[in-house]
Amino acid sequence: MQEKSVYIHIPFCKKICSYCDFCKFIYNSKWVDDYLIALKKEIEDHYQWETIKTLYIGGGTPSSLDEKQLNNLFQMLKIFKLASNYEFTFECNLNDINDKLINVLVKNGVNRLSIGIESFDLDNLQFMNRTASFEEAQKKIKLCKEIGLNNINIDLIYALPNESIEVLKKDLDYFIKLDISHISTYSLMIENHTMLSYQNIKPIDEDLDAKMYELICNTLKKKGFIHYEISNFAREGFESKHNLVYWNNEEYYGFGLGASGYLNNVRYTNTQNLNDYLKGKTILEEEHLSQKETMDYEIMLGLRKIKGINLEKFYEKYHVQLQEEYPIDNLIKEKKLIIKNGNIFINPDKLYIMNEILVKLL
Amino acid sequence: MDESRIRNFSIIAHIDHGKSTLADRILELTNVVSKRQMQDQILDSMDLERERGITIKLNAVKLDYQYQGQTYNLNLIDTPGHVDFSYEVSRSLAACEGAILVVDASQGIEAQTLANLYLAMEDDLQIIPVINKIDLPNADIPKVKKELMSVLGFKEEEIILCSGKTGEGVKELLDAVVERINPPVINKKAKTRALIFDSYFDSYRGVVLLVKIVDGTIKVKDKIKMMAMHSTFEVTEVGVNMINNVPLEELSSGMVGYICASIKEIDKVAVGDTVTVEGNEADTPLAGYKKMKPMVFSGIFPTESNRYDELKEALEKLKLNDASLTIEPETSVALGFGFRTGFLGLLHMDIILTRLEREFNLDTIATSPSVVYKVTLTNGEVIEIDSPHKMPDKAKISKIEEPYIYTNIIAPSEYIGPIMTLCQNKRGIYKTTDYIDESRVNIHYEIPLGEIVYDFYDKLKSSTKGYASFDYEISDYKESNLVKMDILLNGEAVDALSVIVHKDFAYSKGRAITNKLRTLIPRQMFQVPIQASIGSSIIARENIPAMRKNVLAKCYGGDVSRKRKLLEKQKEGKKRMKMVGSVEVPQEAFLAVLSDDE
Repeated sequence: MQEKSVYIHIPFCKKICSYCDFCKFIYNSKWVDDYLIALKKEIEDHYQWETIKTLYIGGGTPSSLDEKQLNNLFQMLKIFKLASNYEFTFECNLNDINDKLINVLVKNGVNRLSIGIESFDLDNLQFMNRTASFEEAQKKIKLCKEIGLNNINIDLIYALPNESIEVLKKDLDYFIKLDISHISTYSLMIENHTMLSYQNIKPIDEDLDAKMYELICNTLKKKGFIHYEISNFAREGFESKHNLVYWNNEEYYGFGLGASGYLNNVRYTNTQNLNDYLKGKTILEEEHLSQKETMDYEIMLGLRKIKGINLEKFYEKYHVQLQEEYPIDNLIKEKKLIIKNGNIFINPDKLYIMNEILVKLL
Repeated sequence: MDESRIRNFSIIAHIDHGKSTLADRILELTNVVSKRQMQDQILDSMDLERERGITIKLNAVKLDYQYQGQTYNLNLIDTPGHVDFSYEVSRSLAACEGAILVVDASQGIEAQTLANLYLAMEDDLQIIPVINKIDLPNADIPKVKKELMSVLGFKEEEIILCSGKTGEGVKELLDAVVERINPPVINKKAKTRALIFDSYFDSYRGVVLLVKIVDGTIKVKDKIKMMAMHSTFEVTEVGVNMINNVPLEELSSGMVGYICASIKEIDKVAVGDTVTVEGNEADTPLAGYKKMKPMVFSGIFPTESNRYDELKEALEKLKLNDASLTIEPETSVALGFGFRTGFLGLLHMDIILTRLEREFNLDTIATSPSVVYKVTLTNGEVIEIDSPHKMPDKAKISKIEEPYIYTNIIAPSEYIGPIMTLCQNKRGIYKTTDYIDESRVNIHYEIPLGEIVYDFYDKLKSSTKGYASFDYEISDYKESNLVKMDILLNGEAVDALSVIVHKDFAYSKGRAITNKLRTLIPRQMFQVPIQASIGSSIIARENIPAMRKNVLAKCYGGDVSRKRKLLEKQKEGKKRMKMVGSVEVPQEAFLAVLSDDE
């Protein structure tokens, strides 16, 4: 049986960030207890006993749960049969990190931590409705490493209104100084139904945004990070296995409120309605994929990776040649796509206009 | 039916003066429709008409009205109010012996009322002046009465007061129709002559002709002949329109009705033509209409080039009951195959484009409207040019003349200043100002039509807070210092974007258009220069910088399906754009010159 991955969504936060459009609620102890019961049922009803190679607990803010709730959560995850070289990521708020929490995580098999810091600039933090300080981050990351958690990602958000290139430079310097193994960076997106959209915030100038992206790529590369996906950078060997499952178009379970999964050629999304979820009405919509649609996903996701898509593997998977199925000739001629060493990938210069290329392909 | 009890009449009114509501009350009073069936503004059958509150296509309906114990047959032929449609007005008036002139009790006489009224007076129709909306709190009946008497020369006792809303005065009005309007001249024994004043296509019955029988009779099985088109058909059905068609055995002199004759080919009949009957054939046709010439021309192209044939068919169907529309195939390097289409004015153009979209589901690209220029070549030959890209080389031109219009701009006198400034800016030549009363004026200018087709009407509205009404007649052609301005995208001239401009205004227009295009054309994968040029000299330039960002920055498990939908949306958006060389241009860009903000 094919190995699979698991994503688990914990939709509770102590504080709501202004840009966040994920499914989330302000933390409420009673709701969390009920939620964990429903989550357990969903997992038990659906898990088919495959070997699980990666497990990811995201949110929301999983670290907002109290000790008892955390133990409860980890207890129910024991059901999963983990592969020997499994990756188990837990998303975590900087403020929630302490000796006790990290020990609980490590004890329960977590071997990767993802911390949402986003920025150390006070204006940026205020704009996002977040808090963080470099000193605190330094101290807590040191603590994690002492306890034995070495695989750490931090998130960086840039291109905020009024942010200058200098502010971003400072953030990058701080992030590099934290000496972590993985950095995810995102240009701010103003999504519908977020506080930012209600405040009618407009995105920054496209040219400045692109300049910031270039700065990030160049700076992190110089410091020894490998740029392996449009927005992701890692020390060698620390690429996120879980996220690569998405970009390699492999199947995974999605459990929890608003979570999405991809199983047996069906992409599904769970309800975002907490009451429905607690009553056991979990799945909201399903997309049954034709071969063509599956290949479209493969291309849309695969080209996010700097290495792109391996043509031979594509053929093995779908029994058609990518070059014959998709109109790539002009894009190759215009040097937007490159074929090299059996892989097709986007010219690194054109990564930031990837949609233009995808629209021509799909 | 005693023909002396037939009355054929129409209603003349400015937009919003309540003509359709009044018509609704008349229909109710004559029991054509019961109150329960009543759908507001029943004569306006096109959705577009109801939406905009204007009547575009005329309709004809037969009403039975009881007057002094006798049944009278009243034929109400509706007319559109906007200046663009004065052709339609002249068509409906030709079928009438009288007209009701409707004036809003709170607004008074407006420019468009005058234009249509003059048409009616030229046709010697009996006019019944009506002050409508007398129920309005701000109705000023004495003032409007005074306008009708002093400006148009009506007598006070002729004026009827009514309200389409409450129904007050409507009976009195219908009585006046019977009393004052002459019955049609009846000539049943003469050789048959019927005037086609409208037609439409019915998918079951073919082309339906709306006619007024002037002489003789037409009945089922008659062989009818179109005197101008020389086509013949056998009549399958005749009748009158009482909201629904009511078939009769025959139509005779004086009557207004419809004829079906299994006419499948649209181009075999023409509005304005005379129908006669084989075996009782007339020698000379009726006078027909003063042919309205289209004044504004635009290229219309299907957004998807494989729908050219559908566009052709749709335009032909619209032309069937809109003889003022002219269509001629046109080829554009940028836009492919389409049609040079002639309109009476901008509203007419707008309506046709909307109907193409709504009724025929056709996505089209229209190029900036142009007027018809008279170009005298150096060899003395005079040619007419209706499209900027057909303009000959400068060296071959000895002079260019453009059409001017003579305006009626009616507005409260406090707006004289802003109106004159606007007209001056549009190269207007001041003529005279008439005072309608102490507070209202009618300002006359001569203005190049080419300036009007852009944004004159909108600017007039905004500079007079909507109080001004505007109408015009074509005056004559005058010589102007005009030049053709080309627009270059990425170094290549785009024929569909060329415009004719006055030399003195060329620089500001060039800057305005290039600037507008910069905002309308999205960034491309490479930098795109936009230039305006006259001959070989560049007079304005803008750059669309290369696209720097179009990416889904973040894409994880939960986002995947949603992100794919986002891409689908982008793809749909692209489909609506036209590739011009290597540049993707959205439809709106081709009308950029229309909405420039100088």
